[in-house]
Amino acid sequence: MIRTLNVILVCTSIAALVGVYGLKYAVEETASTKVELERLIDKQQADLSMLKADWAYLNQPSHVAPIVVRHEAALGLKPVRPEQFGRLDNLPMRKPAPDKAALDALFEALDSGIDPIEQLIIGASQ
Amino acid sequence: MSLASEAAVPTIALEGSRKSRSQLTRARIRWVIFGLILVFGVIAGRLVQLGSVVVETSIEGQTRDAITATRPPILDRNGLEMAVDIRVPSLFAEPRRIIDVEEAVTALRTVLPELDADWLRRRLTGDRGFVWVKRELTPAVADRIFQLGIPGLDFVTESKRFYPGGREASHILGAVNIDNQGIAGIEKNMDDRDVALLQELGLARDRALAPVSLSIDARVQHVMYSELLDTFTRYKAIAAAGVMVDVRTGEVLAMVSLPDFDPNNPASAFELYDGKKDQRFNRITSGIYELGSTFKTVTFAGAIDSGRVRLTDNFDARFGIRFGRFTIDDFHGKHRVLSTSEVYKYSSNIGTIRIMQAMGKDEFRAFLTKLGMDKPMQIELPERRNPVVPEKFSEIVAATASFGHGLSVSPLHMAKAMAAFVNDGMMVPVTLYKRDEAAARPLYEPVISPQTSAQIRYLMRLNAIDGSGSRMDREARGYRTGGKTGTAEKVVDGRYSSSKTLAVFASAFPLDDPQYAMVILVDEPQKETPQSGTTAGWNAGEVTGRIVKRVAPMLGIAPDFSEMLDQALVPASMARAPAPENRLGVPSL
Repeated sequence: MIRTLNVILVCTSIAALVGVYGLKYAVEETASTKVELERLIDKQQADLSMLKADWAYLNQPSHVAPIVVRHEAALGLKPVRPEQFGRLDNLPMRKPAPDKAALDALFEALDSGIDPIEQLIIGASQ
Repeated sequence: MSLASEAAVPTIALEGSRKSRSQLTRARIRWVIFGLILVFGVIAGRLVQLGSVVVETSIEGQTRDAITATRPPILDRNGLEMAVDIRVPSLFAEPRRIIDVEEAVTALRTVLPELDADWLRRRLTGDRGFVWVKRELTPAVADRIFQLGIPGLDFVTESKRFYPGGREASHILGAVNIDNQGIAGIEKNMDDRDVALLQELGLARDRALAPVSLSIDARVQHVMYSELLDTFTRYKAIAAAGVMVDVRTGEVLAMVSLPDFDPNNPASAFELYDGKKDQRFNRITSGIYELGSTFKTVTFAGAIDSGRVRLTDNFDARFGIRFGRFTIDDFHGKHRVLSTSEVYKYSSNIGTIRIMQAMGKDEFRAFLTKLGMDKPMQIELPERRNPVVPEKFSEIVAATASFGHGLSVSPLHMAKAMAAFVNDGMMVPVTLYKRDEAAARPLYEPVISPQTSAQIRYLMRLNAIDGSGSRMDREARGYRTGGKTGTAEKVVDGRYSSSKTLAVFASAFPLDDPQYAMVILVDEPQKETPQSGTTAGWNAGEVTGRIVKRVAPMLGIAPDFSEMLDQALVPASMARAPAPENRLGVPSL
């Protein structure tokens, strides 16, 4: 009775020992992965901050303006003059609708073989 | 059996055996207790030892947190970054771990040749745990040092402030020191507000702080900067400055002062300019000037608002005014009787003095107090200078003050007053942080009546169409700009010099619906061509016009050439009595 108990206890101890040992190594490995990841994140954050700064620099008017000046001649760029601004209500209204009756008459004449323009030319040449 | 034998043994022996056994047990217990005390004592001692160990968290007297502390990004009103943090490596050494100092010095100097060999040798020798070698390196340089593989050298990632716009907004942004603490401009103001506290608590470390939005528009700032830079070649100016304010919210859209410095290299703020010291200060907030004739707008606003002067009144400007030994005369003298609007248009000193006298000198002085001209400017920049305005005006001081001499205020004071004059008389404190109209409205403080404001707008526009601002108006056609020139003679060796002048133009646009006020200064301008003049209309005026022409479309102001807009500015009193000088195209009604 006591012997079986002892055997079970010894077995449990060995199993626990092996388990703890394995766990310890697993944790160590996880910790080193964590440190590695942290270092990676740190590096990427640093890179990101650099890229953001680059982006901000490239977007500055003080950076864009000289580029515009450099390509002014090639692209035909010129500053906008006040006269060149317009409003929607300054646009002319659409032309009134075409004269429907006259068009119908024209098409009917063409269908029946008389070309009014030809008639006009003939009339003028006589 | 045992009982029987015990009974047989003599009592004394029995007692002895019991005693000796109990003594043994007691001894064992004592040993166990001793052992336990020993073990626990060791544990307690170790605990005390661990507790008293001071962990070295500081780097040369500064906490690690402070070194890696970040600052919030600064954005302009449209969200463009004006200041960002970048994370850069800094090289440090642990001298006690360096094996061969000589080798380390030689190797390091192959990558960083600018380091002095003796300095480096002294730095790396000894038993210290931490010394900086070089802070804020580029990642490429850090990589090369890493490749050298010197033991005892390592890197710390530090936050470094970077201003992508370079010099353009230097006086607004200010600068930070190497430990990322604000030392000037908005950076210092932010620290005074709350960032410093966060950094101290270590909360600002490695975390994204909410960005700070300024009222500045980077595009407008760029236009003003480039146009003011242009005055150095065009008019051979020795300095120039300008500020633009939103009249309704008090937000500063642009603020430029030249010569300036590079905020990425704060030491440049102390460099000599043209062989002179202290030229790179912010002329808008920490420069005070006699602003000359632009100040007449203030006099007119006060006089008209007092009700004692009307636009249709006439003033005798035939002869100069004598004060004891002095006689004050006009620069472009007409020497005839002038109406109020003519006095403004021809910038008559005599007429302005008479207008001020009609108002009363004490009332004029009180009006300046109302405008805050005698108080330091309330703005978020630490660089400020108090205005110089005499406490009490004598006759002559009041007379000179009416046309802007004998008192010095900052250009920002002037811009703030101009903004109030065109904004229906509502004065609003200026700010560099973003603010909307709803937030600004409770801060409004009436300084003149809306009727007076309408008359001032008319006078300013009249001056642009007919008077000294016509060169400005020719540049900014269609944008209904108006303003007043001022050509103040500078004091050289205690006397006013007629050759060295400060040209000022104080303006507002578009006057039919006032939105922005601007003050431009050009210091000691010279003739652009032999035919041109040196008065403010030729330089500060034209600069104003060019700036308006470029920024108005960005700010959503459409050009309009309709004469109706200008006619609508004419106050009813003028329209009813069309005077001959009224050339705003008023039809005879």
